[in-house]
Amino acid sequence: MKTEFLTYLQERFGIPANLFDDFEFYGASKGRVYLGPKSAISSPEPVSVGFLAARIGNSIKPSTNLIQLFGKYATKNIINLNKENTIKYANGEDVIIDSKEFTDGYVILSYQGSPLGCGHAKGKTITNLLPKAKRLQLKFL
Amino acid sequence: MFDLFKERYSELVDDAEAFFSCLDSLQPRSFRVNRLKSTPEHIKERFSEYGISLEQVQWYEDAFISSEPEVGATFEHFTGEVYIQELVSMLPPVVIRKELEKARFVLDACAAPGSKTTQLAAIMQNRGLIVANDISYNRIRALKFNQEKAGAANVVITNRDLRNFPKNQFEIIILDAPCSSEGTIRKNFGIPSLWSEKHINNLARMQKQLILKAFDLLSPGGTMVYSTCTFAPEENEAVLHHLLENRPAKLEKILIPHLKLSQTVAEWRGTEFNSEVKNAIRIWPHHNNTGGFFLAKVKK
Repeated sequence: MKTEFLTYLQERFGIPANLFDDFEFYGASKGRVYLGPKSAISSPEPVSVGFLAARIGNSIKPSTNLIQLFGKYATKNIINLNKENTIKYANGEDVIIDSKEFTDGYVILSYQGSPLGCGHAKGKTITNLLPKAKRLQLKFL
Repeated sequence: MFDLFKERYSELVDDAEAFFSCLDSLQPRSFRVNRLKSTPEHIKERFSEYGISLEQVQWYEDAFISSEPEVGATFEHFTGEVYIQELVSMLPPVVIRKELEKARFVLDACAAPGSKTTQLAAIMQNRGLIVANDISYNRIRALKFNQEKAGAANVVITNRDLRNFPKNQFEIIILDAPCSSEGTIRKNFGIPSLWSEKHINNLARMQKQLILKAFDLLSPGGTMVYSTCTFAPEENEAVLHHLLENRPAKLEKILIPHLKLSQTVAEWRGTEFNSEVKNAIRIWPHHNNTGGFFLAKVKK
């Protein structure tokens, strides 16, 4: 699972595997993968370890939190949103992007160099994958 | 409530008039830069583009006071580059910054909603291990949300009553104890309706249990920060006194340049506190235009 995930990050986004040398990946139910400390504790048993990094099913979907932390190291399949689309994305809406700089699949969305999270591209439509709890009406950007 | 409250604190503060009028005034909006994702320089630049004027806090370069109350609607809040937090609540990690740089095993004993946990993770740059514990499963949801948003990967969350926490040896423990929160009156307007001496005494009884347990969970040579956001001596000096009477603890002097610190209370209602207690500090709201706080650095 770890190798599969690291290979995916490298191949899809160009995010180097060595960024994760000081961490460990922890598998959980429903294909969830957590990025956590090298060693956790066993007593008391933790409620959670690290944070959700991805869901692995038929495809691998990186989490918003992972992208916000490591997205700046990506070199491909990144879409720089303009102000209007950034507001839409933060609000939970899909965006339409006409560009040849990405291929179908998961993409990293960023604004002025800061990664916001993840979307799913099919043609020109980028499906919004932002968790509902994270939606925000941006006033300052 | 207020007569009794006024009576009790009029005798403890240096300037009762300034103190009470400060409690009636609104507290400035503050936030902290999350160094896992950003830098103070970057935030200064961005906020200046928004026309928001910022004051960088002299005693902590990661902290800012904002002229704009809606920091929560900024792009940097959305991405977790800034964390909205009361200034004095940033103090526990600040006073052990040096120790944290090399620490590998840290306990945030009453961690929800995660302000201190995320601050610890940022200072430790996601290295080592932070155990973020809270007794309330409900509050753990907020803790988890904030921890994930901050990108704090070196954190495991546990859900225990600290008093039953299994044997461990932590190098650093942050015990920001549940308290009567009198120091947050400027933003939590419901505090006066909850206030009573009985409530204070109940909390004090629990805090004494918590501090002994936390001390027992420290490794030899380890450091614990005990803090509350309340003025009541029962919940502050008396709790430290209880620790010093029951464990071989030492209190280390706390120095925070550019922040006005005040002495602890030497005695309260007939009890003269252990002389070591005076190494702890009080922060009165009217001295630095903040909330109220109490802080002690305990060595094992």
